Amino acid sequence: MRQLSSGALLDSIRGVHWPAPRVVGGAIQGSHRSRRVGSSPEFMEYRPYQQGDDPSKIDWKLFGRTERVAIRLAHDDSSLRTMVLVDASASMAFPAGSFDKWELAASVALGLAAIAHGDGDPVGVAIVGGGGIRSIPPRTRRGTVANVLQLLLDTVPSGSQALAPVLNTLKGSRRVAIVSDFLGDAEALLEGGRELVAAGCSVHAVHVVAAEELDPRGLGDVVNDPEDSALKRPLDSAALPEYAAAFTAWRTGLAARCRAAGVSYLLANTAESPERVVRRVVAPLAATVPS
Amino acid sequence: MTFLAPFFLAAGAGIAALVVALHFISTREPATVPLPTARFAPDRPVRARSRAFRPSDLLLLFCRAGVVLCAGAALAQPIVSPTRRPLARIVVADRSRAVASPAEVADSARGLLLSGDALVLFDSAATRVSSDSLGAIQRVDAKGNLSAGLVEALRAAVSLWDQSDSLELVLVSPFLAEEVDQATDSIRALWPGAIRLVRVGVRRDSQAVAVMALEGSADDPLRWALPPLNGAGSADVRIVRGTGVPSDSGWASLSGRTLVLWPAIPAPYGSGAGDSSGAVVADEIVVVAPFERLGMPQASPASRTVARWMDGTPAATETAHGAGCIRSVAIPVPAVGDLVLDPRFQRLAARLTSPCGWTPSSPPLDSARLAALGGPLGRRVVASSVPRPLAIRSPMTPWLLGAALLLGLGELALRRRPGLPAEA
Repeated sequence: MRQLSSGALLDSIRGVHWPAPRVVGGAIQGSHRSRRVGSSPEFMEYRPYQQGDDPSKIDWKLFGRTERVAIRLAHDDSSLRTMVLVDASASMAFPAGSFDKWELAASVALGLAAIAHGDGDPVGVAIVGGGGIRSIPPRTRRGTVANVLQLLLDTVPSGSQALAPVLNTLKGSRRVAIVSDFLGDAEALLEGGRELVAAGCSVHAVHVVAAEELDPRGLGDVVNDPEDSALKRPLDSAALPEYAAAFTAWRTGLAARCRAAGVSYLLANTAESPERVVRRVVAPLAATVPS
Repeated sequence: MTFLAPFFLAAGAGIAALVVALHFISTREPATVPLPTARFAPDRPVRARSRAFRPSDLLLLFCRAGVVLCAGAALAQPIVSPTRRPLARIVVADRSRAVASPAEVADSARGLLLSGDALVLFDSAATRVSSDSLGAIQRVDAKGNLSAGLVEALRAAVSLWDQSDSLELVLVSPFLAEEVDQATDSIRALWPGAIRLVRVGVRRDSQAVAVMALEGSADDPLRWALPPLNGAGSADVRIVRGTGVPSDSGWASLSGRTLVLWPAIPAPYGSGAGDSSGAVVADEIVVVAPFERLGMPQASPASRTVARWMDGTPAATETAHGAGCIRSVAIPVPAVGDLVLDPRFQRLAARLTSPCGWTPSSPPLDSARLAALGGPLGRRVVASSVPRPLAIRSPMTPWLLGAALLLGLGELALRRRPGLPAEA
């Protein structure tokens, strides 16, 4: 966790924004373009007055020049209530000793939280596993990122608690990032993500995979599931091709199901730097955000 | 030590060697490494075989090999062969009623018996006893049967086939004719060698008369027909030459006593007519003489006829009286002539004055029968020519099976003990 606590990640992503993928409907002032017709000085258009419009919005100067009663429309900015759901189950404590998966997941979670916080969005973190559920509710005040960092540093991944029940409690959030290896309750998570997307929330699935999981050659002849001690399988040279094929097929299927559910899917390999992963999460969306 | 079925021992040793080899070729589970994506590996058994340079579990190996070896040895039926002796004797001793003195029989047998020899006692039946039983030989009031003794001797020979180089069969008996039956020659023929015959004294009739008292006149001719009488107050047989008195009856009611009422002048037979050319038959004894046939005293229905005239009428009857018996004899003893000196009449007189229940001994076997019984002189039987027993039981088999069972239980307990390495 030295990388996490060193501050290098936060330095490297300073200035990076995590824009909303589309116009949002939030009423709180923020940095994201809102669907609301606001009072910001950025003029958008005039619209004829209709019954029910606020008369105070009538542009009387325009009426004086043209005798048309019209409403002056302007863009409004809104904030995104963001939650980062982090998987801290025993499967994240891999490889033994270095915990690369957990370090990457924690770094990505911290990076996303820092970016969202930098954008002025309320951001919170929920960590599932490691002895229970620990969370920081979304907020914008200073020190939130430091609180998130401390919470992540205090967590040791263990156990096999399900993430989906926690995800279902995040329906008040407008943006949710799930950082997990999806080896627990993947289908339930997908279902919860589908519901969030339907409610107008943008959901990001960051699939954390260790490099040793992608290529387990030399790891050992027999492997077991850290979350299920009864599951023991051979992984000798004869079993490696079958393993690789099955794992690839599962990842491909998971990505396809995520996209079908409207969930943004990203595979994060521990061979990558956390900064790169964070930028991959936020960059495509920044490129497509409407101006 | 020899094995009746050595194949099983070899098979057990082979299987035990296989068990030891299997302990070197152990099946172990390789070290397990945690991998969160282990579920994507193929679902196959995770054990792998490896060759070990040391047995995996010495105690378990000992139990397993021990079970196989003990079971194999038990099935092989080990026999501990005793030290073979040059000669083993089978002494067949007579204890029938024909034997004069059981002590004489015991002395004769004792002089022949060595440690490990077989001793067979026979009367009407035969039984094998230990040599220590010699001092307790008792005469059995039953007719001897040499056939039974020989059969038991043949059985004893089968049990001695592996203990000596040669066998000698010794018969200690008075060798009376009554002890030989029609099967004796056939059974004798089964013994392939000579039989050493040791003759002991026969129980003579005089021995019964030796405790006999005759109450009659000094010139009673019956005295000439009987052996010298030496009985007195302790006699078991009292011969009264009259009809007897109540005191005689009381005397005869005691156990083992016989009162012979043999009137010197019996009552006239019928009209007093004589039997000028008659004969008397008592068992196998037949006396033909011109008896002056006289009348038979009144006998009770419980009387048993012990001698008859040639026309079947009773000449002597015997009646149980208390614990003893009373024998009534209606055969006149002629005072003239030499009939009382005739051996046949003397045997008849001995029969009629014998104790109740006692049948006088038959004549001894003649020399020809004795020679046939003994066979060729000096020819011993080679032990190997005696047929082996059909079923030889190994005394070690139950113990070996028990040891195998215990080791099997131990192996079971060891396999169930905690901390056993994962090994097949």
